[in-house]
Amino acid sequence: MSADRPKWAEWADWVREKDDPRSAGPKLEALEGLVVLDLSSQSYAGAYCSSMLSEFGAEVIRVEPPQGDFLRTCTPYGLVHQGEGLNYLVEGRNKYHVTLDLNQPEGREVLQSLAAQADVLLETFPVGTMDAWGLGYEDLKKTNPGLIFASITAHGQFGPQANDPMPDYDNVAQAKSGIQYATGAMLPPEHDPGTCPWAVSTKASPWIAWCSAGTFMATGILAALHWRHRTGQGQALDVATTEAYMRLDNYTHIWFQGGGHVTERVGGLDNALWLYCFAPTSDGGVFLGGLRLEMWQAFCDMMGKWDEWGVGDWDSLSPFLNQEAQLKYFPEVAKFTSRHTSGELERMAVEYSRSGRLAPITTVIAPILSPQEAMLDPNWNERGIFTPTQDPVYGRVVAVQAQHKMTETPIRTKWTCRPVGYDNAFIYRKYLGYGPERLNRLLQDGVL
Amino acid sequence: MAEATWRDYVKNKPKKPKPLSGLRVLEVCTIVFGPSGPSWLAEMGAEAIKVEIPPLGDLERDLSCSGFRFKEQSPLFLHDNINKYYLGLDLHKPEGQEIFCQLAAKADIIENNLRPGVMERFNVDYRKIEKINPGIIYLEKNGFGNWGPYAEENRPSNDGASQAFSGIAWMSTFPGQTPVKQMIYLSDMYGALLAEVAVLSALRHRDRTGKGQYIEISQTESIMRTMSWVWPYLDITGKNPPPAGNRDVSVCPADTFCCADGSLVSLAAAAPQEFAGLCAAMGRPELARDQRFADHLTRLQEENATALLEIIAAWAAQRSPREIEALAREHGFAASRVRDAAQVMADQHIRQRGFMTQVDDTMYGTYLDHEFPVMMSATPPQKKWAARAVGFDNEFLMKNLLNKSEEELKALYETGALGKWADRPGRRPPPDWDGSSDLILSRDQTPAQAERGGK
Repeated sequence: MSADRPKWAEWADWVREKDDPRSAGPKLEALEGLVVLDLSSQSYAGAYCSSMLSEFGAEVIRVEPPQGDFLRTCTPYGLVHQGEGLNYLVEGRNKYHVTLDLNQPEGREVLQSLAAQADVLLETFPVGTMDAWGLGYEDLKKTNPGLIFASITAHGQFGPQANDPMPDYDNVAQAKSGIQYATGAMLPPEHDPGTCPWAVSTKASPWIAWCSAGTFMATGILAALHWRHRTGQGQALDVATTEAYMRLDNYTHIWFQGGGHVTERVGGLDNALWLYCFAPTSDGGVFLGGLRLEMWQAFCDMMGKWDEWGVGDWDSLSPFLNQEAQLKYFPEVAKFTSRHTSGELERMAVEYSRSGRLAPITTVIAPILSPQEAMLDPNWNERGIFTPTQDPVYGRVVAVQAQHKMTETPIRTKWTCRPVGYDNAFIYRKYLGYGPERLNRLLQDGVL
Repeated sequence: MAEATWRDYVKNKPKKPKPLSGLRVLEVCTIVFGPSGPSWLAEMGAEAIKVEIPPLGDLERDLSCSGFRFKEQSPLFLHDNINKYYLGLDLHKPEGQEIFCQLAAKADIIENNLRPGVMERFNVDYRKIEKINPGIIYLEKNGFGNWGPYAEENRPSNDGASQAFSGIAWMSTFPGQTPVKQMIYLSDMYGALLAEVAVLSALRHRDRTGKGQYIEISQTESIMRTMSWVWPYLDITGKNPPPAGNRDVSVCPADTFCCADGSLVSLAAAAPQEFAGLCAAMGRPELARDQRFADHLTRLQEENATALLEIIAAWAAQRSPREIEALAREHGFAASRVRDAAQVMADQHIRQRGFMTQVDDTMYGTYLDHEFPVMMSATPPQKKWAARAVGFDNEFLMKNLLNKSEEELKALYETGALGKWADRPGRRPPPDWDGSSDLILSRDQTPAQAERGGK
């Protein structure tokens, strides 16, 4: 280790020794022994939610229709790897995969047997589907009062639009959230939308609303599990994808109530912060951040505007915290950043922290990286995020993993996916005692 | 039936227990990424104590919406700090550190989002607290984690930097354009959420074994986790996935279209019956049989997807969002106008579900804010009260949790270990506060109380 390590290096080493994902293998798992039935249907929110649990060691049983879940076909540009769509290729992680036709009475009977032995049931069917099958919460809790019955849908289980027949999709949830409306490039002055089709409300990529719904549901399931630990009582949980994503918006609803203001697009700028923006560079773009006056002053100094703007006389950031001021200064900022590469600007900020007028104060300058650049960054590889998984079926798969780092019960990726029905024999033997003869008959009857 | 399960859900919230009641959370958290997580725990019934360095406290109190504040308070701070108790405690002072340790001994969860090593400097890092309380679940959130090259450089981070670093901004844009920043603090909010999954998993481990643990979360690693197909795509093709604007390249058709009145509608119709429904709605049932669009994997091919999206765009350009939404309901696909804040606030569905819920607060009055978005039939989360001033609950916390005497309190204030708000917007109570409302177990009789004859 180099001599100029920080004072707290001993602490960093202690943490790393305890939580480096490379040493996760033999440690305990937080959710070991938890049995989760994931019935989710054409929903990444459902698959992502059960991944959150299976990464912590829950035994997740993915129940798919005999032809497999439609989600397996949702893959960028139709690309498949060994027959598997790329989203499902990484989100089948640590799960057992069985088939079951819930449209057949015998299939529903099998499901009841599994549900009687499960801790959590997760489903994403249109509201009322499970009830119509006799598999709703009120039905299943009779045999399993501790069951946590979790539903993720477009509009939720109750409310005036609960029976709206629209299916749940990420891009439509983003449209409903109010967030997409207020995100995107501003129309440049003296242009019209026809010539700038990119200057419109723009969604976040990819599937962030579904991820939010799945992650919120995971927290709900875990809180319900704690409650059950204390009382033995199970319950039903309800997440609407639009609401889950909307919850990540900090202020547009409060601004509207208090000020009647509809938040509009500000491109790379920010409604609440300055200096805090994306700016173009000669080879891409950078993020500029300086939430204190001195950090903005430092950037003005780097731009060579110290004297021209009388920067040294400024005594408050307040005059810059409104859109009028930002629209006045941003073009100057962009003019400057456009003359440099992202790398030059990044180095300039480091240099300023050593020898600038306001050193060690400087501006946060971060290049806007492509995913490829991000994936090659040694920092993330050292922290084990992109360590390839050797999947028994699919071979080398790069799936982001180890996003939580924990000393006692770290998450791990044991496998990334399984083909449809791959674990029928194991799971139906383990839970129902079905042997080859019974399984073959169920397969022939199309139940599995 | 689902109907029976959820009948009168909103009305009955106050009658039901909360799933995390009895758990105590100590937070030393700032600006969005930090305080959001403890808020969610508090909405689920945990007792969250917000520790702030007096007199300024959490910097989030400074943020406004282009100058707009809600009764002087930052709308962001108001949103991210719910159901909490407020302690003004200076961790730079040994006496403050001692109080923190006394509270930590009685806490279940500690959360902070300071730079690596700072809690150690305050003598309240995990290794010290764990000796006092081996069951403690101790979460540290920051930009790059506590180890690795960027952590060692002490590189600063924030939401914008994380959007830039993770690749998500680059993906969330139109081809050839400088990426735009998400309007929301996406990396902060999502990172805070993912961290609670780890905290609550650790709680399950503690429920079974009695053991606590240390958890670290990087906001960039968290947002990278959501980028699903992007990483295997890179690994398999060796190429960057091209930005695709509003088009969802994993679902076809799924995109945002411009309607006749210039407003936008998003639409998705991928499953066979949904796609057939869309074709019927467009009056083009033959498209469902077109071999270019025969099944989902075929439709997703670049050339086919482009052709199909052009057909839909031409159709949508002649319609209004209202017509398209109605057709979607009738034909079983998904569509919605791209709603603005006014349209979201007019949505009666989310109000009747109690997601957009009315907070009734002594200090900030009545206003609508988001409930925790998981409805729980037996233990419903609930927003109960809004933000408070720095150190607002000092007396209550010190008396109730540590039984401090008048003399001890006085000494703590004199050393500066305890402190209250600065007389600045966002730090102090709102301007129309009467000087006494909401103070719990306060000994200081304010002029307003004296006038009313004291307590």
